[in-house]
Amino acid sequence: MFRNLRVRKEPKKYVSEDQQLALDWFTRSANVPVTLRQINGLPEEPKRRTYRALLPPTLLSQFGIDPVTWEGPDGAGHVSITAKSGSGVMSLTVRRHPDPSDELFYLELEDTSMNGIQVNFILIRDPRGACFRTDCDDEGRSTLFGTVHRNFGAELDAMEAGLAPGQVCQGLRASRQTLEHLEAFLVTTGHSAYFLEPLTYASAWLFERRGFAYVRGHKLMDDIHEGFQPGGRLDRALDGSTPFRQPGQGRTVRGRAWAIHDGILEAMGASWDGLRMIKQVGRHAGVDTFPGATY
Amino acid sequence: MATIIAFRALIDRACREQPGIDPDTCYDLKLAVEEACTNVVTHGYAGMNPGSIVLCLELEPHQIRVTLTDFGHAFEPYDPGLPDLEASLDEGLSHGFGLHLIYQTMDEIHYETGEAGNHLTFVRRLPARQEP
Repeated sequence: MFRNLRVRKEPKKYVSEDQQLALDWFTRSANVPVTLRQINGLPEEPKRRTYRALLPPTLLSQFGIDPVTWEGPDGAGHVSITAKSGSGVMSLTVRRHPDPSDELFYLELEDTSMNGIQVNFILIRDPRGACFRTDCDDEGRSTLFGTVHRNFGAELDAMEAGLAPGQVCQGLRASRQTLEHLEAFLVTTGHSAYFLEPLTYASAWLFERRGFAYVRGHKLMDDIHEGFQPGGRLDRALDGSTPFRQPGQGRTVRGRAWAIHDGILEAMGASWDGLRMIKQVGRHAGVDTFPGATY
Repeated sequence: MATIIAFRALIDRACREQPGIDPDTCYDLKLAVEEACTNVVTHGYAGMNPGSIVLCLELEPHQIRVTLTDFGHAFEPYDPGLPDLEASLDEGLSHGFGLHLIYQTMDEIHYETGEAGNHLTFVRRLPARQEP
């Protein structure tokens, strides 16, 4: 027991500095986390065995892809790993066909500078349904999911089809399953939490439902909820000035997300920036910044 | 502020539903949680867009265990001695006084920090219940 507390400015580092896993790692304490950089230093086959746990088997099998061999009915490989030795980043890509635009799953993980694992990107989409080119502008340049450029026509079509900002196609309703597999992988590697930065309001809300809390941005989410209440600053800015700012949009997650994507946070002197979320492995944080929400 | 109000309401409800928790204990728990949250907001999340504070309340037959988790700057245990009560009064009971209150009213205090956030746990033991 201690008498008082003092703010620590620098986080403490927990993982070892080893660049590569050696066989004797398996005989050390299983509670010590290992980094992606260490796993990436393994030979290809053990690396593949390790990362294979990240993919939910049913996600693959519904597209006829073997969860072990990653081969489809055509005998070709449909899953690719990028995990270069010496790098602290890994990604997994699943495609229904060799066509690069036919991506149905993409997951990118990275070691954080100090302690943990960050999800840089997670994409789960159903290429069998209608898709909208919200990710490219009229000249074919990437919009980086609408964060750099915007394709207004495609965004309008996507919104009317029930998609949220940042989505190109409907999802596969597999985020829960995917995050459960990610947690199982993290337990195996000795991590107790992971981080991500939500791209949109809708994704932040979804991750709240999946048990995430905020490292940064909880107050912003509370302010947004307050702003969309009748008569609030954001509610008043839903003035019909663009298709993405129609009165009443504040009642749904998607409506709010499109208005925020359209820059409505300027009305309260804020921007969608700097949010960071954390998921404690095995625990639901119970955060709910939009109580009783309708998606 | 909304978080603190929600936590106070949660503790109130838990105290009502759990037999053997007297109003003084309930008051002390709310005060301790409020002081700890204020500390996190003032110091842990200082200079940043504040993140979440997660409250976990475990009601056991002989004790109540409260864990507050945050994801801001970590704290480190140190012993500055008792707060200067006169100075604290001048500063509106703020400097070092909140933690002092927690130490005075709780039976155990633990603090740990790690990959999954900063966890402040305090325990208040309950008096043994008389069998009817």
